[in-house]
Amino acid sequence: MLDAFAALFQWQNLILLVGGTALGIVVGAIPGLTASMLIALTLPLTFRMDPVGAVTLLIGQYVGGISGGQITAILLRMPGTPASIVTTFDGYPMAQSDRAERALALGITASVVGGIISWFFLAGMSPSLAKFALQFGPWEYFTLVLMALVMLAVLAQGSLAKGLLAAALGMAFALPGIDSSIGQARLTFGNSALLSGFGLLPVLIGAFAISQILRDASSPRTTKKVKVSRRKLPIYISDIKTHGPNMLRSSVIGTWIGLLPGIGANIAALVAYSTAKQLSKEPEKFGTGHEPGVVAGESANNSSIGGALIPLITMGIPGSVTEAILIGALVIHNLQPGPLLFQNSPEIAYGIIAAYLVANFIMLVMMWGAVRQIAKVIYIPKGMLLSVILVFCVVGSYAVNSNFSDVWVMIAFGAIGLVLEATKVPLGPFVIGFVLSPIAEEQLRASLMMSDGVWSDILDRPYALFFLFLALATVAWPMIMGRLAQKNKKSRS
Amino acid sequence: MQISRRKLRALGDLGLLAAVAVGVSVLFIGAADLPAPRFEPLGSAAMPKILGVLLILLSLPIAFRAIRNLLRRDPADAKQEPPIQLPHRGVLVFGALLAYAAALDFGRVPFVLATTVFVALSGMAISGISVRSVLIYIFLGLGLSLALSYIFTNFLYVRFA
Repeated sequence: MLDAFAALFQWQNLILLVGGTALGIVVGAIPGLTASMLIALTLPLTFRMDPVGAVTLLIGQYVGGISGGQITAILLRMPGTPASIVTTFDGYPMAQSDRAERALALGITASVVGGIISWFFLAGMSPSLAKFALQFGPWEYFTLVLMALVMLAVLAQGSLAKGLLAAALGMAFALPGIDSSIGQARLTFGNSALLSGFGLLPVLIGAFAISQILRDASSPRTTKKVKVSRRKLPIYISDIKTHGPNMLRSSVIGTWIGLLPGIGANIAALVAYSTAKQLSKEPEKFGTGHEPGVVAGESANNSSIGGALIPLITMGIPGSVTEAILIGALVIHNLQPGPLLFQNSPEIAYGIIAAYLVANFIMLVMMWGAVRQIAKVIYIPKGMLLSVILVFCVVGSYAVNSNFSDVWVMIAFGAIGLVLEATKVPLGPFVIGFVLSPIAEEQLRASLMMSDGVWSDILDRPYALFFLFLALATVAWPMIMGRLAQKNKKSRS
Repeated sequence: MQISRRKLRALGDLGLLAAVAVGVSVLFIGAADLPAPRFEPLGSAAMPKILGVLLILLSLPIAFRAIRNLLRRDPADAKQEPPIQLPHRGVLVFGALLAYAAALDFGRVPFVLATTVFVALSGMAISGISVRSVLIYIFLGLGLSLALSYIFTNFLYVRFA
């Protein structure tokens, strides 16, 4: 771990981390632009970078992107990222009652505390969890991937069938190309451009950036005046006693929710907010500019990043779209995310952990010092911002293989993303299905080869059975609850 | 004739399922051409077939709900719903994006020229047209394309058209 910190403090990596965090904060502050979009767009630029530098840059963007969302959430009631929606509940009323500086000070502090607490979980749990995951065989991996996909699909907003349909569609799009097991083309229909399948990067940029930009282009953006005085951001020693327990509890909630695939920072913030409200002596004050509301939301959303990084580096399982893109970044640099990452590339595994902690401190310094200036980025005309990002999308997709077919793939997936969103089919499971499909197929085929085609061998694998049970329970639970609710409604009426 | 949002959503779902049906056919047709498994029990064609069946099964409840919503009568207040706005600006930007990619790929238009025109067109599609905005977007596009061209050519060794 100390070596990882030493590598991180080399000037090149430190510049990348500072730059990544700064860019993340700015992008996070702009409503409509998200950390995942930024990371997807930066990925092509990291190809020729050293892997530690690339990962450092992306982690900085991730931390900055989630934390930056609170600025416009507090000042304008426009959450920069979905993770900051909860911050608007109390942050904006505080800003309206001339306490914007206090809300920002609490939000920034809570974000950093959340990040540090989840870092302890990340640093403490990851190596031992990775060692434990080394016991897993193909059956365990296949069922783990299945469980992650099912959880993502079920927990995505909207209908259960549409969530699962999105995951299956994403998996189907990953099928064309050379089948690595037998070395033969599959579903390419004689098209040589399809031999290497749909590239991960064009698919990610298309599904997230292009569809988001096209939606934003049509939506009106009202730019209200930001009201932040030149006063200092007020934070006091007594806040440790007042807000400490709430920060700690919300950070732990955020970390554990982040661990579960598919739930994400926005739900973590919502759960922490509800818990803080339920445990409060003054629950009626929540939503009216109550400080614990800001603290709960911001501690939880930032700490969920640390939680989500745990399954990513120990088992190669993405908790959300951003982690799926990070997996893509590791794969692009010929690194296999999973338990062997700690053995084969410890500098990367520990580098991620170290970068996460340092990025939180960089975020604190930047947000504390430049929050007023950052808030002004929302005045950049939408036309300028979106047209420049579109050029980056095209250039980024082309630069992967110097091939225009990747640009067309990106545009096609942008259109697919728009259609899916218009029909309320969630994009998260679609993209994660695309990322996880090759792993799921490879592990299933390896499992069946090991067991000579006998499916019942899974019954001798307790962990695999446990993951399978969790996957089935995740699907069955909403149905059972729905039936029970209907029954209760009928018996009442 | 005005159509309610619920029916429009149902029609959208049916359109999506039609596209899924086409996709499933492609999966089955492609899988039929693949060789039978020889060295391993599952084979190359299994996953497309499994996913094809899964997609059909998952489409059924969505289709059922969509058809039920189409056949059901709209409530009286459905007529007063605000009409759905077409995303005109998004369509224009998408058109400009297609033209930009085509110009670079098929037309072999120089990167700096194509990018400058694209930034100007897409920027104006979003912000509106005025002499001032035309000039601003042309300068923005020119600056951006020159900077990108320099960085990609000299540092990342990527050449555009």
